[in-house]
Amino acid sequence: MGNGEKKKPIQGQSKALRLTGVFQDDIAHIQQLLEENSDVLYRNFRLSNTNKRAGLFLIDGLADKELVDKFILRSLMAPFSEEDHELIEQEGLKNYLKNTVLSIGEVKETNTLSNAVNEILDGMAVLIIESVTEAIILGIKKVKSRSLEEPISEPLVRGPRIGFTEALKDNTAILRNQGQNEDLVMINKTVGKRTKKKAVITYIKGVADQNLVDEIVKRIDRIEIDFLPESGYIEQMIEDNYITPFPQIQNTERPDRVIGALAEGRVAILLDGTPYVLIAPVTFSMLLQSPEDYYERWMPGSLIRVLRFLAAFISLYGPSIYISFISFHPGLIPTKLAISIASSRVGVPFPAFLEALLMEIAIEILREAGLRLPKPIGPAIGIVGGLIIGEAAVTAGIVSPFMVIVVALTAISSFAIPQYSVGITLRMLRFISMFAAAVFGLYGVILFTLLLLSHLVRLKSFGVPYMSPWTPLSIKDLKDFVLRAPVFKMKRRPMMLDTKDVRRKG
Amino acid sequence: MITHSSNKISTVQAVLIVTNFILASGILTLPRKAAEAVKTPDVWISIIISGGIAILLGIIMAKLSQCYPDKTFYEYSAKLMGKWLGMAVSICFVIYFCILSAYEVRIMAEVTGYLILEGTPSWAITIPFLWVGYYLLIGGITSIARLFEVIFPITIIVFLLVIAMSKETLQLNNLRPVLGLGFSPVLKGLKPTILSFIGIEIILFIVAFMEKPKRAVRAVTIGSLIPIFFYIIILLTVIAALSVNGVVHRTWPTLDLIRGYEIKGLLFERFESFLLIIWTMQIFATFVITYFAASLGIFQVFKVKERKVFLGLLPVLFFISMIPKTLDEVFMIGDMLGKAAVILCGVLPLPLLILAKWKGRMK
Repeated sequence: MGNGEKKKPIQGQSKALRLTGVFQDDIAHIQQLLEENSDVLYRNFRLSNTNKRAGLFLIDGLADKELVDKFILRSLMAPFSEEDHELIEQEGLKNYLKNTVLSIGEVKETNTLSNAVNEILDGMAVLIIESVTEAIILGIKKVKSRSLEEPISEPLVRGPRIGFTEALKDNTAILRNQGQNEDLVMINKTVGKRTKKKAVITYIKGVADQNLVDEIVKRIDRIEIDFLPESGYIEQMIEDNYITPFPQIQNTERPDRVIGALAEGRVAILLDGTPYVLIAPVTFSMLLQSPEDYYERWMPGSLIRVLRFLAAFISLYGPSIYISFISFHPGLIPTKLAISIASSRVGVPFPAFLEALLMEIAIEILREAGLRLPKPIGPAIGIVGGLIIGEAAVTAGIVSPFMVIVVALTAISSFAIPQYSVGITLRMLRFISMFAAAVFGLYGVILFTLLLLSHLVRLKSFGVPYMSPWTPLSIKDLKDFVLRAPVFKMKRRPMMLDTKDVRRKG
Repeated sequence: MITHSSNKISTVQAVLIVTNFILASGILTLPRKAAEAVKTPDVWISIIISGGIAILLGIIMAKLSQCYPDKTFYEYSAKLMGKWLGMAVSICFVIYFCILSAYEVRIMAEVTGYLILEGTPSWAITIPFLWVGYYLLIGGITSIARLFEVIFPITIIVFLLVIAMSKETLQLNNLRPVLGLGFSPVLKGLKPTILSFIGIEIILFIVAFMEKPKRAVRAVTIGSLIPIFFYIIILLTVIAALSVNGVVHRTWPTLDLIRGYEIKGLLFERFESFLLIIWTMQIFATFVITYFAASLGIFQVFKVKERKVFLGLLPVLFFISMIPKTLDEVFMIGDMLGKAAVILCGVLPLPLLILAKWKGRMK
């Protein structure tokens, strides 16, 4: 984002300095405050036929030059007629210019130097006129943004092909346009001590719980940090619990996901400069859901969701269950299977745990490497790593083919989770569960599960229990949990959110 | 946020606390104990009768607690019986819960060591178990209640599945004749079966945490009906599969039932691991709630900080669980606990309820 980097705090006595109306002094002061910035353009000109001098400051690259040339400079330099001069007599030069000459949408004024300088650095054009003690601020900022493409991180088969961009205004406009709701409220916030970034808290009035909105606003106001490059910073500064692997705020690039969440009574937080929008509060089941579940008919939607829960389960427990059965309880699996696994493990020098650890770490590195590489090389590395190393490791007798199957299944399962951050959570926990299995076998896995559940039931996201609607049990909310009821059956908004208006209308 | 942070439990959660407390070691040992006493297949009638008695006692205790809806037994016992007597009874309850808690842990260690972790010393099995319980306890009664809510459906589904798959081994003839030796064996079975309802006394302590204390009676009734249902199914299937004589000679008859069948063509042929998973979870539930009840007593009677009590009790529970040297000694402790339970939960509540009503009348 272009507007952030060049800001310089105006400190000390200059803060209260006002414009004097003496042209040279004002210009000199401003130039002094801006001296180091080479990207500031200054245009000095004569104001029409009034014999007054004027100066225009703007930032090269941020300002819409065409707008400046056509609607500001041209009209300011064109000669005024007799009637114009009469009007100047009547309403004063400044008001005349604002009312009659400057034909652009956003015009403000200020009388302090520091404000003027801040506005210049923010990308506005600032007009200084001889013997006028106010600077006129002209909104001619043109933010460069990319087109609204489908988000790379969250593709869907069915659903809108539109994603958020880095420009805050684009994002709010998308929400406004797609949401089509007159109750959609957007609260502007400025966060960051040095780099002041714009953030927007948005919710639907009359639906979202006011306590929730207040709490989020309060937490955002409490943020004290000088620089926020991405909404991940906000997420980390306002989450309930930082000693947990589970994300308590959802991030998404998809406007439809945000609008769906808003309609349920949740609150979204947008930050300038990032396409990732935060949604709060969030529950565990939400992280395994995809907007597509709602676009498809309810039966396929439900089935795919069940599949995802299964994938999450495999991703978490796959290797640990394998380890505990192979190392501790071979008697509990069918004899033929046990024999076939045992014979395939002949010659493998490591215990099952070490074998699994080796392969899991290898595949994690592979995944990370594939992610960082330039796009054309990524798949090639996947083939080299996955196929060749896997095959070679088995042939060399370091790992058993069964282990490769388990590890591959686990990896694929973790890709089936629609949220990247949750995928990471499950990957982390998988290693802990493997350790537990290595020490105590099945008992270790049970203990790990109990510990995990003990943690999850305590976790909250903005006061909403993370495991809802399973616990605290809310029968009505179970309609949208593992299974999804037909749309016409889901007449109520989630009870756990304490929405003001419980019924979904229309 | 503000709305959910209350330290209260819903009625469903209260039901599940009672249920999960009752369902514990009994699942594995009840058939043997009952069959030993009754010696006929009529044990299931005994469990229905003793279940009825347990519900009655539960209702008495619930009514007693409703006299002081925002206080736990530890808090109102002093008001009811005077400072010293009340304190003495409270301490009895604390000791009772401590031993019960340690007993459950030990049973868990024994079964786990016997079945899936042969050769692992029981301290190694016990210690991580205790720490997980401690971690849950820090979250307070709401966390415990929520955990119960999570594990309960898993328990039901897995349990019914595992039992249903044993249908091949069941022989209805083992259940006959009904009341072949008359009604007296059934009555003999009341004593061991009523002890399998230990846990119902928790209602004395959780009414104070309920959002709607008026529903305590309903909670305790439903909370005991679910275990009755479980126990009847277990007794019927175990005895149908192993016969009364077979049950008497086995330490863990329910496990033997599950180990007794194999199903070909599935990923798993034997299902005792599934039963063990849910059973471990149930033991954990009982352990946690007794651990909580004991800690609650200590910090309410002696006004100590919660966290300190939780932590301080951990080694105590560990050492108590290590005291018995053999399995027989463990079962002896179980019998002692049964006697204590009869006094504390069977005999005590009714006079206290009358006392409380009388005191209420006086005012």
